[in-house]
Amino acid sequence: MEVSVIGSSQAKILKTDLACRELGLLSFKNGGRVSWGKSQISFGRSCGLRNSGVRLTLKAVQTEAIRPQKISRPQSHGVRLYVGLPLDAVSYCNAVNHAKAIAAGLKALKLLGVEGVELPIWWGVVEKEAMGKYDWSGYLALVEMVHKVGLKLHVSLCFHGSKHAKIPLPEWVIKIGEQNPSIFFTDRTGQQYKECLSLAVDEVPVLEGKTPVEVYNDFCESFKSSFSSFIGSTIDGISMGLGPDGELRYPSHQGLSRSSKVPGVGEFQCYDKSMLALLKEHGETTGNPLWGLGGPHDAPAYDASPSSNSFFKDDGGSWESPYGDFFLSWYSSLLVRHADRLLSLASSAFGDSEVAIYGKVPLVHQWYKTRSHPAELTAGFYNTQNRDGYEVITEMFAQHSCKMILPGMDLSDEGQLQEGLSSPEQLLGQIWSACKKHGVEVSGENSSDAVAHGGFEQIRKHLSGEDAAHSFFYQRMGAYFFSPEHFPSFTQLVRNMKQPQMHTDDLLSEEEKAKEPVAATSESGIQMQTA
Amino acid sequence: MSSAVSTEPLLHRSFREISRPRFRSSTLRPSPPPASLSCAPKSPSFRHARRRCASGSGPRRGGWGGAGAGALLRVRASSSGAAVVEALESADVLFQEAFPLQRTETAKGKIFVRLDQGKDGQNWQLTVGCTLAGKWILHWGISHVDDVGSEWDQPPAEMRPPGSIPIKDYAIETPLQKSSTSMDGDEVYEVNISIKSNSNIAAINFVLKDEESGSWYQHRGRDFKVPLMDSLQDDSNIVGSKRGFDLWPGALGQLSNILLKGEASDYKDKDASTDLEASKQEVRCLEGFYVEQPIVKVVSIRNSVNISVKICPKTAKTLVYLETDLPRDVIVHWGVCRDDSKKWEIPAAPYPPETEIFKNKALRTLLQPKEQGNGFWGSFALDEEFVGFLFVLKLKEEDVWLNCMGEDFYIPVSSTRSSSLIRQKESDSTETSGKTMETNTEVSSTAYTDDIINEIRNLVSDISSEKSRKTKTKEAQESILQEIEKLAAEAYSIFRSSLPTFSAEAVLEQEALEPPPHICSGTGTGFEILCQGFNWESNKSGRWYKELMEKASQLASLGFTVVWLPPPTDSVSPEGYMPRDLYNLNSRYGTIDELKDLVKKFHEVNIRVLGDVVLNHRCAQYQNQNGIWNIFGGRLNWDDRAVVADDPHFQGRGNKSSGDNFHAAPNIDHSQDFVRKDLKEWLHWLRSEIGYDGWRLDFVRGFWGGYVKDYLDASEPYFAVGEYWDSLSYTYGEMDHNQDAHRQRIIDWINATNGTAGAFDVTTKGILHAALERCEYWRLSDQKGKPPGVVGWWPSRAVTFVENHDTGSTQGHWRFPSGKEMQGYAYILTHPGTPAVFYDHIFSHYQSEIGSLISIRNRNKIHCRSTIKITKAERDVYAAIIDDKVAMKIGPGYYEPQSGPQKWSPVLEGRDYKVWETS
Repeated sequence: MEVSVIGSSQAKILKTDLACRELGLLSFKNGGRVSWGKSQISFGRSCGLRNSGVRLTLKAVQTEAIRPQKISRPQSHGVRLYVGLPLDAVSYCNAVNHAKAIAAGLKALKLLGVEGVELPIWWGVVEKEAMGKYDWSGYLALVEMVHKVGLKLHVSLCFHGSKHAKIPLPEWVIKIGEQNPSIFFTDRTGQQYKECLSLAVDEVPVLEGKTPVEVYNDFCESFKSSFSSFIGSTIDGISMGLGPDGELRYPSHQGLSRSSKVPGVGEFQCYDKSMLALLKEHGETTGNPLWGLGGPHDAPAYDASPSSNSFFKDDGGSWESPYGDFFLSWYSSLLVRHADRLLSLASSAFGDSEVAIYGKVPLVHQWYKTRSHPAELTAGFYNTQNRDGYEVITEMFAQHSCKMILPGMDLSDEGQLQEGLSSPEQLLGQIWSACKKHGVEVSGENSSDAVAHGGFEQIRKHLSGEDAAHSFFYQRMGAYFFSPEHFPSFTQLVRNMKQPQMHTDDLLSEEEKAKEPVAATSESGIQMQTA
Repeated sequence: MSSAVSTEPLLHRSFREISRPRFRSSTLRPSPPPASLSCAPKSPSFRHARRRCASGSGPRRGGWGGAGAGALLRVRASSSGAAVVEALESADVLFQEAFPLQRTETAKGKIFVRLDQGKDGQNWQLTVGCTLAGKWILHWGISHVDDVGSEWDQPPAEMRPPGSIPIKDYAIETPLQKSSTSMDGDEVYEVNISIKSNSNIAAINFVLKDEESGSWYQHRGRDFKVPLMDSLQDDSNIVGSKRGFDLWPGALGQLSNILLKGEASDYKDKDASTDLEASKQEVRCLEGFYVEQPIVKVVSIRNSVNISVKICPKTAKTLVYLETDLPRDVIVHWGVCRDDSKKWEIPAAPYPPETEIFKNKALRTLLQPKEQGNGFWGSFALDEEFVGFLFVLKLKEEDVWLNCMGEDFYIPVSSTRSSSLIRQKESDSTETSGKTMETNTEVSSTAYTDDIINEIRNLVSDISSEKSRKTKTKEAQESILQEIEKLAAEAYSIFRSSLPTFSAEAVLEQEALEPPPHICSGTGTGFEILCQGFNWESNKSGRWYKELMEKASQLASLGFTVVWLPPPTDSVSPEGYMPRDLYNLNSRYGTIDELKDLVKKFHEVNIRVLGDVVLNHRCAQYQNQNGIWNIFGGRLNWDDRAVVADDPHFQGRGNKSSGDNFHAAPNIDHSQDFVRKDLKEWLHWLRSEIGYDGWRLDFVRGFWGGYVKDYLDASEPYFAVGEYWDSLSYTYGEMDHNQDAHRQRIIDWINATNGTAGAFDVTTKGILHAALERCEYWRLSDQKGKPPGVVGWWPSRAVTFVENHDTGSTQGHWRFPSGKEMQGYAYILTHPGTPAVFYDHIFSHYQSEIGSLISIRNRNKIHCRSTIKITKAERDVYAAIIDDKVAMKIGPGYYEPQSGPQKWSPVLEGRDYKVWETS
């Protein structure tokens, strides 16, 4: 086995080398070029191959000609950028939409030096007609396209629907929902949120005798076997859909009307039958049966401000009362348990593959500057002036070795309306430091499909500096993305990310590089991803 | 099965619009045999049998169209046809995958050209036909006796067969019809053109276009040219053909390798120059003739090969099962390897039946035909020591190799191998031994770009890994960025056009948010009324600027706010549209000082002035070493790097054009930074030196709208409008009701400029033509009850017009229905959009009516975003209410606006139009 660790005098290589060694990676000298490989990659693969005897005999032969795995190829700069493919890249009818445009787009991105693309895979498309009847054809074609261009692919498993992309939940699930409305989140007025299943039924056999978690699991397994040849090579990351819009949260703004400029506090979504049953049980076990009869009676309505009713009031609001604590701890713990279930499902399903698992935590930054953080509370994060609600979540991510996607990296406090008392930057900082504490790696994402002008500056900020995100998901490819008013800015962003390489002959940037050890530190993050 | 002609990427980027394929005079060999007057004698060079023959294999790089992707998957699903597969399925399948195989086949046919004399002995008839199925279009024009250059002209109307569509000012497109006769059993598509013998037409020039594939068919890389007069001999023809032969050998291969193939075999023995000699003598006196020319259409075909690998439970050998749906006998050229180096090796016997050893390097096995259905299969047993199974496929009868993306197929067969390893070929630096085999691949469109991309990709990785190569890096970056820009533009245009709903609703919504008085270069104030201040004859007097100056006050009192002046620069053509030295503003319209005075005068009467700027092309002042005119002079002394590379006339060294080419002059490569910088400076200079307020942009189809945005951002005009003129859609010669695709193209362009420019609403003009000419006023409402032109979708950027110097004036390329001009003005001057009135109409008997319409418009403050409600769109009448203030109708039918809360009183009535105001 020909292995040599390069001891080059070049500082840069040394740093990356160190990073690799820490992680148990080996570097191989291959045709004069340094390429990175990881011993497990080639052997530990489980692709439904069961003849272990043969595997052993071949091990020795293989090491000699081991191929550089693309995942672990060192990027000489820190952040790996992925661009989201259109939400409807595969249509509801399982056809590849605007394939020609995507093909051209992929080439453009490849040339630009983007690491890869992100592809949302919809439950409602793949398992549309009947439980267990999967049709991956559209996605396979798309993955093949991505593979051909030589880009990486991050897959987002979407167990939710999207009105925006006109992709609902699977037909058969909707049908069940008509019979049994309690599988959906429900608010105080009985309004249902039909874009994803209520987390209260995660382990209740509501889907033709199976629990949603079992159904998700079957879906993941089917995905794994259908894409086995890509997983670990082209596909280098998988996001597990955790709730509305794939994010870990309650749909607390389900009926969000855009009438008011300042988003309201949202409402608790604990009024479907299963939730109410759980609440009742919780009340009884904690000795407060009366508290378990319903949600808070004094919470404001969706678009209202925190002070419009007494629950979230800064002074003497019920949130600070023992009842408030009773309710909020229960409400938020269900969310954590839900995430725990799904992430453990994902890490057991894909744990033996060479992919990183991700979950997305939303940036509920509205009303962050109040004491009670009402918007976060209704969304399920028990994070107030007095209590850190993200610790427990990051800890759980760490347990499952999952990485966290944090959207809203393009938002700045300045860009927010004063009246909203919101602070995306502070909240991001809070979650980020929790992640750091528990060793959870952070990937960034922009908040909306259209990054405003200041947004690029903000993104750049988060992608440099000591705590740079280790990858970034840029949302999202489409007409606007390639439009003359947007694409040049995006190109600029990418070029800036690569600046140290782009202007090697420029002394100034050499100095800058010396000042910022960013690239090296974040590289360890990159390598981790393949672990 | 998608059809693609291999030269496609070299010719055009987009086939949606009609470009101008014109090549300097070439002579179609009028074949002299005496029998040629009779129909369909077999030319000796014509291969009678319409044999389909394969001409090479395309690697697996084909277009990523939905169809292709679908095909791949369909194969997966249907692959379990044979019994063997079932047997295989019982055991553990280690690997299974269907690989697409792409190859091309060629359909052969011929183009024939016949000239014969009509029955009366007076008129001649030219027949052009083709024996291959397709949506054939004859793109043609004529040369006049006294024409000096090689320009085409449009034939007189009586020459145009039914269904003809004029293409700008120089050509006609006529679809070929399926003929009732057939030729040797093949269907014939043909078109007949009759020629009056007393006309002064010297020659008919044409090319044939296949709309299905978007490819052009030419005669040996040039236009077909049928000479009708011997006068042609002495001037242009000889010169032209001589020049042609100096010039064309290189370009020929690039331009029409479709034809080349046919010709290579069929014409090889003939010396081109003797042809010319012959033609010179023969054409002296017009004679009928008949010639045929073989053509080849390349059709790409997708097949697949399906591989599955399993371990045979009895022998512990690895079984590779291969099946394919290729139609003819297939040979598998195969070997095995022991490790990742993919070094071919021949395994020990036994081999499958019909196997032979090939040069001690590989085995060749003939596949067995499947018992049922089409296709072939084979099964290969390998010892477990081997890691991979390598192969390529060959069609037995033909010299066609099929491989996997330009490399050998590599199937991992050992269980420790993961199938994903085969996916990494491209990253590997090791050479495979199989590479020694030639793969005669066609340069398919995607393969072509893929190669560029691969090269650039390598450069990219080099850039990011090494930092020493400064110069190289810079150059590479340039080319990468350009390529990226183009790809992005391509992606953008497709994404845009796949969202047709956007244009209607989203834009309107966005419009509503814009406060009307806001001034931007796309709209001006929104209350602009344009006057085109010249016609095609204005250059004749030599003192146009002075003449127009006298009319300035009158134009102002009529209510115009903007005037569009003719192109001001030094130009090869007197009208100014063939600019040469951009900084020389002494033209046939007057001197630079007269121009400044004129602009000053207009400003005094509060009229803004638009300069007509030709940015697409520019005439050169000097020749390069090959005698090609592509070196510019004057202050902007660019060289051939400023010329696009994809127009072989001008041998540009720039990049490919980002739009359609205008073939009469070198097209400027706007992707070059120095070009853009110089043009921006020039526009800036025109603004400050002359005082122009904005631009009318000529032939903007020729380059990407994003560049226009760049120019407008730099020159900050008060108003700008672009001429994006292409053909509307017609079916069987009749204009389609739905012209959404046409207006979408214009909208796409406006959008590419980011709305910084408006565009002439060619769609509305076309629909008005059809509605008024044929009394079909229902056409004036689209499916959603909105105006059917650009003005219905993006009113604030639509510059509506009835006529201009090209369509009307003395050129008359697309003249508005005669006598009905006022109906046109009643429409555009009451409707949203920015109306433009043509000089000839202002100074005609229509003046008072136009003046009244303008004052109605101004009085009621109708602007470019006014709301419009179509109240009637029937056979003989169209009516609409604008901003609830003005009602109008055009057409002979009856209409009176219904009085509700507001009372309508008629204010203007003319021939077949009437306008009301609320009182």
